[in-house]
Amino acid sequence: MSRQLLTGNAAAAWGARLADVDYIPAFPITPQTEIIETLAAWSQAGELPGRFVTFDGEHSMLTAAGAAAAAGARTFTATSSQGLLFGMESLYTISGWRVPLVLVNVSRGLSAPITLGPDHNDVLAARDAGFVQIHAETCQEVLDSILMGYRIAEDRRVSVPVLVNLDGFYLSFTREPVDVPDEAAVREFLPPFDFEHLGFRASRPIAQGVAVLEGATYSHFRYQMHRAIQNAAAVHAEATVEFSRLFGRSYAAIEQYRVEDADTVLVMAGSFAAKGKAAVDQWRADGRRVGLLRLRVVRPFPAAELAAALSGRRAVGVIDQNLSPGVGGIFCQELAAALYSVPDRPPVLRSFVTGLGGKDISQSEFDHVLSVLDAAQSGDPVTDTELLMTAAEWQQVQGRLASARRPVEDNAPLPTDSDDVRAAVRAEFEDARGGVS
Amino acid sequence: MIRIRFHGRGGHGVKTASRILGTAAFLAGFETQDSPVYGAERRGAAVTAFARISETPIRERGMIAQPDLIVLADDTLLNDPAAGVLVGQETASAIFLNAADPAPLVAQYHIAPPARAFDVTARTRELLGRPSALSAGVASAAAKLCGCITEANLEAAVREEFSHLAVSPDAVTKNVEIALSVFAALEPAVLSDVPRAATAEMARVPYVDPVLGASTVYNSGNAEQRHTGAWRVERPVIDAGLCTRCGLCFVECPDGAMSLDATGLPLVDYDHCKGCMICSHVCPVDAITHQPETAAW
Ligand code: SF4
Ligand code: SF4
Repeated sequence: MSRQLLTGNAAAAWGARLADVDYIPAFPITPQTEIIETLAAWSQAGELPGRFVTFDGEHSMLTAAGAAAAAGARTFTATSSQGLLFGMESLYTISGWRVPLVLVNVSRGLSAPITLGPDHNDVLAARDAGFVQIHAETCQEVLDSILMGYRIAEDRRVSVPVLVNLDGFYLSFTREPVDVPDEAAVREFLPPFDFEHLGFRASRPIAQGVAVLEGATYSHFRYQMHRAIQNAAAVHAEATVEFSRLFGRSYAAIEQYRVEDADTVLVMAGSFAAKGKAAVDQWRADGRRVGLLRLRVVRPFPAAELAAALSGRRAVGVIDQNLSPGVGGIFCQELAAALYSVPDRPPVLRSFVTGLGGKDISQSEFDHVLSVLDAAQSGDPVTDTELLMTAAEWQQVQGRLASARRPVEDNAPLPTDSDDVRAAVRAEFEDARGGVS
Repeated sequence: MIRIRFHGRGGHGVKTASRILGTAAFLAGFETQDSPVYGAERRGAAVTAFARISETPIRERGMIAQPDLIVLADDTLLNDPAAGVLVGQETASAIFLNAADPAPLVAQYHIAPPARAFDVTARTRELLGRPSALSAGVASAAAKLCGCITEANLEAAVREEFSHLAVSPDAVTKNVEIALSVFAALEPAVLSDVPRAATAEMARVPYVDPVLGASTVYNSGNAEQRHTGAWRVERPVIDAGLCTRCGLCFVECPDGAMSLDATGLPLVDYDHCKGCMICSHVCPVDAITHQPETAAW
């Protein structure tokens, strides 16, 4: 084992390297590119025996990843944001093939407007794609989750792809100390890929992903994916035990931070949970009984663990770094469903959204969340998701909006009546044709 | 925890400086974290990088709004409010300025924290024969101000970080020398605890008309408000006596940053000239000279 300073991207590359992957289909996108650059450099230097291949886009990249996995190659690939969405059709396809592989997504907010900062709308767009989904908080967890990811994906009780998410900038470009495990110990944790059940050999042709036009048979196959991902909960728990024995680090589906005697609990995911823990530390120092739950495994959704951990608390605040327009924070909805049948469920559950496009979360915003939870009562009318933003940030936004507006004096009157518009377009068209009819 | 914020321009090496500091603190046995902010900009544009050093696990990430130390590689950034060099200076314990004498800058820009200074640029010129990346000297200043990093940690960190860059062994040795001379010349800062930020007021974001609710710019031509001239590393200066009014530079300027006066003499719009020096390159009579824009290079 060696302890090194690594960015989240470098930690992801190390995960792939230590997993001894056979095949890496690649396409660049900010903030993921450093992952494939690192792997390409190792490949060129002869330090990475796996085959590194660049593609013309994420759709073909992901299709190739699934095809390679079906042929028995341990496969690693990575993308972000628009790239993940561009490959969305392939995500659903390759999970339907029931092939194991690890895909890393480096979170970045979605267009429009196009942006570079992170939030979880990209990765949560893939939440129903039939992948196991793990969200990392630290660079260490990125590396470790990739190793665990292969073990989970390749287990015959699961056999679907695993998606490991890390936040752009806050992890991807941030260096922090990471224990890089020894190869020998990784071999023990992750035996060679046994792909016998996938069946494909050049000498033994099979037809994969065939059309199924009967609804009942189709239902069977889709339902199998649901069962497979549910099985991943137990397989993850087993992998955690073995991982902790070999490497001394342990990861539960949900991380519980200072929740022992907490009456109020925040729920967060990803690297911003570190900020939530700092807020919890401050409140604890002030004598408040507050804790934090971090969602690590997002699919399968750890409903039973969440229900057990939150049963009997007074108030829960979910801080989502995503927004489902028309609903609000996604994790709050999923948590509400998980708590529905818990007899002693928390009487107060509130939804907050922040960190979109990488917007920071200040201690003030955490303090505000706590004050909202403190004031909330059981039986309050249903409230909408609250967007967290400080008055100073909102003022800055308004400055940006003002500079994008047309100065009022430049507003030439535009034809508003649709007949006038049509007449104007027609005249222009005639003009362009030089009056030839 | 010590929070350090570096400011410079693309090419000054402040990202490398933050990495050298991070590595030095890591070698000294601390929990550390370092990161840059990348924008959609380029060489010469304002760049910020961060490092955090702590004895306990670091539960912060991203930008540092309330730094303990501000480390400034190029004082011309003090003229650019968008660079935000002095943001959070009220609670900072020290600021490092890459200058021979900090006093005039402190007075002109109302710099609040105690200022430490060293002319890293002059030392870099002296040893490397040219103004070059300032990463080793600037990182060294930060390391010394932190007070918890030894000379040996610093030297090892400079060697480690330069090993990832395509530099000659001789340049590495000289950068180590620069780092050590800066380290020897400065005193550690007196670090005080940053008080907890006052509670900020929260906003309620209302529904607005789609004109303001979508990222559409109606005010066409507003790119002019962005003074990209601040990215310039070199300034093109036209010698009106030599210029034959051929107009070639005016045609070739990729940024449309030139106009012609009534006599055909080209004029440079220094608010938007990015200093690419294509005009100087194409001038048949060498009438356009290069002048360094920032003292830091
Ligand atoms: S330096 Fe480049 S941008 Fe500036 S005036 Fe010359 S050609 Fe134009
Ligand atoms: S290219 Fe040289 S000579 Fe021609 S207009 Fe420009 S400065 Fe004058």
